Amino acid sequence: MAYPYRHEKEVRILSEGFGDPGARTLPGWRERGGYKGLARVLEIGRDKTIDEVKASGLRGRGGAGFPTGLKWSFMPKDARRPHYLLCNADESEPGTFKDREIIRWTPHQLIEGCLVGAYAIGAEHCYIYLRGEFFETTAILARAVEEAYEAGLAGRDILGSGADIDITLHVGAGAYICGEETGLMSSLEGRRGEPRVKPPFPAAAGAFGMPTTINNVETLAAVAHIARHGGEWYRQWGTKRSPGTKLFCVSGHVNKPGNYELPLGFPLMELIEDVCGGVRGGNALKAVIPGGSSVPIMSAGDCKTCTLDYEGLEACGSMLGCASVIVMDETADIVKQVWRMAHFYAHESCGQCTPCREGTAWATRILRRIEDGRGTEEDLDTLLQISDQMTGTTICVLSDSLAAPVISSIRKFRDDYLALIRRGERVGTA
Amino acid sequence: MPDNRQDAETVTLTIDGQEVTVPGGTSLLRAAESLGTLVPHYCYHPGLSAPAQCRICLVEVEGAPKLQPACVTMARDGQVVRTDSSEAVKMRKGVLEFYLVNHPLDCPICDMSGECKLQDYVFVEGRERGRGREPKRVFGRDDFGGDVLYYGDRCVMCTRCVRFMDEVARDSRLTVVERGSRAVIDTFFERGLEGASFAGNVVDICPVGALVSKDFLHKARAWDLDHTPSVCSSCSQGCNIEVHVRDNLVQRLKPRENQEVNGHWMCDYGRGNFEWLNRPDRLETPLARGKSKLRPAEWTEVLEDVFARLVKLQGRDVGVVGSAFWSNEGLGTLASLARSVGTVSYCVFRSPRADDEDPLPGFPRLIRRRDLAPNVEGAALLGFQRTGDDDGFGGLGDLAKHDGVLVVLGDELGDQGEDFGAEARLFVYLGTTDSPAARNAHFVLPVTTFAEQEGSFVNAQGRVQRFQTALRAPGVARPAWMILGALLAALRKEAPAPRRAEDAFSALAQDHPAFSGLSYADLGSAGVEMPSLAEMGTTGESP
Amino acid sequence: MNGAPFRNPGWAGNTGEFELNEADVRGMDYAGERPLDGGHPAVSPSVPYLLTEKDPSAPLFEGPYRERFQKIRSRYPTTQAALLPVLNLAQELRGHISPRTMDEVAGLLGLSPAHVRGVVSFYTMYNKRPIGRFLIQVCTNISCNLCGAEEVLAAFLEHTHTELGETSADGNFTVVEAECLAACGFPTCVQINSRYFEDVKAKEVPDVLARLKGELDDGASRHL
Repeated sequence: MAYPYRHEKEVRILSEGFGDPGARTLPGWRERGGYKGLARVLEIGRDKTIDEVKASGLRGRGGAGFPTGLKWSFMPKDARRPHYLLCNADESEPGTFKDREIIRWTPHQLIEGCLVGAYAIGAEHCYIYLRGEFFETTAILARAVEEAYEAGLAGRDILGSGADIDITLHVGAGAYICGEETGLMSSLEGRRGEPRVKPPFPAAAGAFGMPTTINNVETLAAVAHIARHGGEWYRQWGTKRSPGTKLFCVSGHVNKPGNYELPLGFPLMELIEDVCGGVRGGNALKAVIPGGSSVPIMSAGDCKTCTLDYEGLEACGSMLGCASVIVMDETADIVKQVWRMAHFYAHESCGQCTPCREGTAWATRILRRIEDGRGTEEDLDTLLQISDQMTGTTICVLSDSLAAPVISSIRKFRDDYLALIRRGERVGTA
Repeated sequence: MPDNRQDAETVTLTIDGQEVTVPGGTSLLRAAESLGTLVPHYCYHPGLSAPAQCRICLVEVEGAPKLQPACVTMARDGQVVRTDSSEAVKMRKGVLEFYLVNHPLDCPICDMSGECKLQDYVFVEGRERGRGREPKRVFGRDDFGGDVLYYGDRCVMCTRCVRFMDEVARDSRLTVVERGSRAVIDTFFERGLEGASFAGNVVDICPVGALVSKDFLHKARAWDLDHTPSVCSSCSQGCNIEVHVRDNLVQRLKPRENQEVNGHWMCDYGRGNFEWLNRPDRLETPLARGKSKLRPAEWTEVLEDVFARLVKLQGRDVGVVGSAFWSNEGLGTLASLARSVGTVSYCVFRSPRADDEDPLPGFPRLIRRRDLAPNVEGAALLGFQRTGDDDGFGGLGDLAKHDGVLVVLGDELGDQGEDFGAEARLFVYLGTTDSPAARNAHFVLPVTTFAEQEGSFVNAQGRVQRFQTALRAPGVARPAWMILGALLAALRKEAPAPRRAEDAFSALAQDHPAFSGLSYADLGSAGVEMPSLAEMGTTGESP
Repeated sequence: MNGAPFRNPGWAGNTGEFELNEADVRGMDYAGERPLDGGHPAVSPSVPYLLTEKDPSAPLFEGPYRERFQKIRSRYPTTQAALLPVLNLAQELRGHISPRTMDEVAGLLGLSPAHVRGVVSFYTMYNKRPIGRFLIQVCTNISCNLCGAEEVLAAFLEHTHTELGETSADGNFTVVEAECLAACGFPTCVQINSRYFEDVKAKEVPDVLARLKGELDDGASRHL
């Protein structure tokens, strides 16, 4: 059995079971060491569990990189009100395809992480919010949840510990913005998935107005392993400030796209050239979007010395995001791809905040006009300015996410734009 | 827990270099307001929740990494806030540009023009020229049912209207449909706002011309309207309102904030019930009976005549019919006059009552009351007995055959026969329109409606509230208190006749202890609960 | 299905370097056929059933659907929170969410119909009008786009003889453009009803359509 494209430089913690149907079942998962982490935390108790996760230095894998243990410690200790753990499985950032793989190959890995997380924050109910398109993924997870209930791992008095933890799968219906944590809460409550202004923060008043923690699938999957092996164990990989391993979703113009689990701090060029077998057809590298479509685009030059960790990418003018590396070779048509991303954000804007509602649609129309060869050089200035007006001015960061690729692409690939505007010449074909 | 203590007490902060102290839990927007600094806003409304989504109230707060929405950011001790920093101004300019990307700029045909917040803010801080070259999105116009029309292209998506229906009317008939730049406000398909009895408020709170009143559509420009503070006369709730007048015609009524009575709101029944104030068929001159027919006369002549006959008839039996549509000043003076003339055997009023009341669920203090007249409580306090049925008819017993002095104020006596008052020694009718009931009167005196005079009502909560003169009186019609006050002063041979409504109000205390110790100055613009009633704990419905 | 190695188009990165059959990849052997009543309440809100034939006038809800509806209600602290799962259930039965369906769902959950309309319009997966037996959603977002998604979309339109968003004359196919489906490493990703077809190339589109038609002919009524 094998999963498409493995590489010996990988450190396979979360992805060990990918491509291994035996890892799906409860007995199979237990054979592979599963649920030992849960048993251990039930023994050491809540506070020590949070301490372990703090010690691991694990940072949220959904994109923002907030330390998970610290987030958990914000949850109030009083048990009078219901607490909720929400697992964000609304994976929809363009370029990202890791959570679906975790769930459909190793559903128990996620369930174990959810149970550990819920136990640690004192939640009696964990909702796993899956994006609506994940039909088969959901069916697999549903079967695993049933197994967990049948085995007494979920529900009343789990593993005889006295703790009650329910798990409910909640399926969305097609809206990128529900991947934003407060948008997800709105959606879970049966509303339009509109993000809410913070404060109040979820730990104070989240889902149903109750203390809530939201974690990404990959974060909770990592928690399952940290619970089993301890925080220090996790720090053997990665850098001091970005410890552990991370799933890198590599897509675009590489010979071997796919998910690769690597220690944080791994060099970007080594990922592309070695792990992924290089740029397709031996073409020259043109650009990389290293963290999903919401982060600034890097030119080939920016990539040379870049390492894949939160700090390394910031130093190179971009962000780790959810580590979705989109590779573009010399055939890439940057202007078209930026338009396509803008179109996505305009389509997915919830429409609450004015800069986002109007700005994303306007920027998309301007980019479309440039694409059609009817652009002017002033349009580029307008785009830069309205991108600036969309940055840091809204409830959530959706409009910032459009601004980042627009601004960075105009700065770094201005010649591509100018060729189209001045001479009607399209640079690139893809 | 120093923060908690601050919450309970006050915090002092600096806004644009000015220090201000406000209660803990005050938003920056309100704190700035208390300094007279307007922080532009659309989605924020003091009567609704604040989603902080319009993003135009962003201000700079020292130490915060980015601009903060002033509507939901709470004032803290020592905070330094700038609403006019270059960052904040630049951002507002940017947000305003976004608002105009798809806005049709149809101000010349928009009802909101002149009182539109988009127009105002853009005028002050917007870009001189738009940069948009793309064609604008077009949604068109949608009939929301009831009195409400929606122009989607003008909408700024502040969702105040949706939140009003959700939170205040608790009748979620509006929603945001679609998302992103395709989002609009809509109802459930053809099922609109008809029958929603408070829906007209969404027009008031719409900061732009997206929601407009069908009744007011293209009737008047905002800058041509005179605004007069008043009190709604359609039920005994006494919602505080503004009367908007052009060409001496009431064009619309708008609620005026009073947290003790109506918050920011009023009901659609009251809002729409003003055409009677614009009736053209008004009594304009006093009429006096000659040998047989009523003929026009001068006020001095008429008043002298009435006075002379009252003096002659002093000590006789007096019958009085008042109306709960008339002010305390008018009714009180009438009651005093009746007592000064003789034995008051009848002092009644009749008033229509609805079958039920209609509260505003999210602001339960505001109820469209059963009593469909503004001064039922005042009439009762001034000694008038309620009589008649729920249509305001009947209950006058043998008053029609009264053979003493008969004075009718305001009641049109629509249910009375031809012989009403035929046997009275003196029958004075004070009214606004010619009425069959006046056919036997010796004197028909034209009086003004509440909108044409200053005065006060007592609402169902026992609150005395003032209203001001919004319209010019027709012809030589005069307020009832002025006519009756002149007669009263002459009869009593003491005080000078009241020259202003204020005098008439102060004089009420003499015969009506409930009003003692009150003056117009005490009432202010929001009114006060009657001290005597407050002591007794009397509120609510009239007996 | 059968245990034979599955050829493209089918799933991610089938490079021939490994031995997995379709059931392995899709987890069909593991997840199995779901019980009609949705199984455990923890998962019944989410269980994907896709009926090939929809009945726009099917009752909301009867028999096993009633049980699933009640299980959904039992999992949330508020009735409003059941809205999305209940709409999913209604769409599973009826194929799309009509104004009448919104009204009925609002009545079932004690919500205002306008609120339900606002929610339905927010989410792209609620079909606002009837669609074909197969809803073909072609991702054209950046990762797929870089690798030829626009040609794949064009091929689907060409071979189904439809316009974007329109349903083919035989009622079988509706082709739409989709935003990222979270399978970016295996472009182009196409979601057809519940299934992901990954690594789809434009030239393979006729094969995909032939396979779908074959399934219709086989009378397969339910796909995982």
